[in-house]
Amino acid sequence: MPLPAKAFQRWLSGVAPDTSTADICRVSGVKRTTLAQQMVRGKVAETTVVSISRAYNINPVAALATFDTYSGLASSSLPPTEKELVSQIATVDLLRAVIVRTAPEGSTGPGQPGLSPTPHATSVKNWVDAIDDGELRHRVSAATGVAPQNYSAQLTANRLAPELAVATSRAAGVGLASGLVATGLVTETEAGWPPGARQAALDRLSDGDLTALAGERLQAMGRTLRRQEQDQEQTERIWENLV
Amino acid sequence: MIEILQWTTLIASGAAALSRIPNLVRRKNRSIFYALALLTLAILLSIRGPYLAIDTLLGGTNVANLLLRFIIFGAIFFLALRIAAGFGDSRGVQLIRGRAGMLALGLISAVLVVCFVLMDTSGSSAGLVDVAAKSQQNALLVEYYGAAGRAYPAYVCLAILPGMLRAVRSPLPAMLRMSAALLAVGSIAIPLSLLFPLVPPGLGFLRFVVNYTAILCFVAGLALIWVASGRAGRKHGRVSAQRR
Repeated sequence: MPLPAKAFQRWLSGVAPDTSTADICRVSGVKRTTLAQQMVRGKVAETTVVSISRAYNINPVAALATFDTYSGLASSSLPPTEKELVSQIATVDLLRAVIVRTAPEGSTGPGQPGLSPTPHATSVKNWVDAIDDGELRHRVSAATGVAPQNYSAQLTANRLAPELAVATSRAAGVGLASGLVATGLVTETEAGWPPGARQAALDRLSDGDLTALAGERLQAMGRTLRRQEQDQEQTERIWENLV
Repeated sequence: MIEILQWTTLIASGAAALSRIPNLVRRKNRSIFYALALLTLAILLSIRGPYLAIDTLLGGTNVANLLLRFIIFGAIFFLALRIAAGFGDSRGVQLIRGRAGMLALGLISAVLVVCFVLMDTSGSSAGLVDVAAKSQQNALLVEYYGAAGRAYPAYVCLAILPGMLRAVRSPLPAMLRMSAALLAVGSIAIPLSLLFPLVPPGLGFLRFVVNYTAILCFVAGLALIWVASGRAGRKHGRVSAQRR
């Protein structure tokens, strides 16, 4: 559930007192019509709060924590686990690491680029898989009342509502902000992950683990691509026969 | 009310046929044009005024009605075959074009012709109402004749229905799934026409509603596919340009 408009207004008057809505929108890049619509509906999206807090140099996670729904974020200070860190590394970056490690000395050239920023194309699903003990989905579903198939559908689409992301973290017993990183609502720095933590976790992976992980990711990617190709083929067949 | 439905359907179907002329010239999926043209002709023949005019021209023995039945068979055959092929329903294609489909078509056509020949069909009458009123035997024959006329379209529609329902639940683009849903509604409505003899006379208008709604659904479903293809635009244009 998005945030109640009343609480949002209270928060906003604390963050930017005596500032017009127009100014807030200009500074934060939130569209005026979007904000107006959210206020009318009485539900303000989490992304709005994140954008505004960034504009006013407030930590978005801390800002979210001032709302009842996300109050847990304030007290949670668990660092990300190794598996979570690795899950937030893009597949291409994993593959690059495999190549760098296996290539003969000196052949890869200098200055390898750092990891691409979070989130990546399958970050949500990879994150949930990384913290899943096999029962996680059931626990989240029981705690939030969201049907398992709806939850899975969100993961497949690499989306997860912020509240569900936090509920997932809670059900898995990991840092509550991790899910917000995986869904791309906040950055890893904003969530309090130590700088370079993902790179360090990647460096700590053994060659075997890294290669196996990259292989899993590649296989999943292959399945997704093949499914997309099949869908595309089906559409093409309709064009061929009926247009 | 029924008149409006009839003429709307005629106009929709005629417009759809006309919109296929550029593709007809380009020799692309020409059978869709033929099917829609036949369908338009069939709708025209099913409306009282045009029916009487054409049948009088053909000798006033209700041959136009027999013609109408075969035109419907042809239209539904080509259209359903294209639809099943387009949605990748090979079983549907097989059921229509394979031995079972040909057997159904042959058998039903034979029944249709035999009933027609056995009837005393003189005197043009839309829906063969006056013909049925002539004698007990004629009434019975008209009943069988009508059933046979509805049986083949019903068979074909049932053949493609599973494929349509699958397409509705598939991960196809929303517009194509909507189109599949419309085609599915049409494919359900036409077999329902087999139940017409059970409809009480007071609700006779239901026959028209079901028939013409079914055709409208088919035409709208096809039109939606063309809209979707237009939306998909360039990308698909490039692909088909390569294949040509």
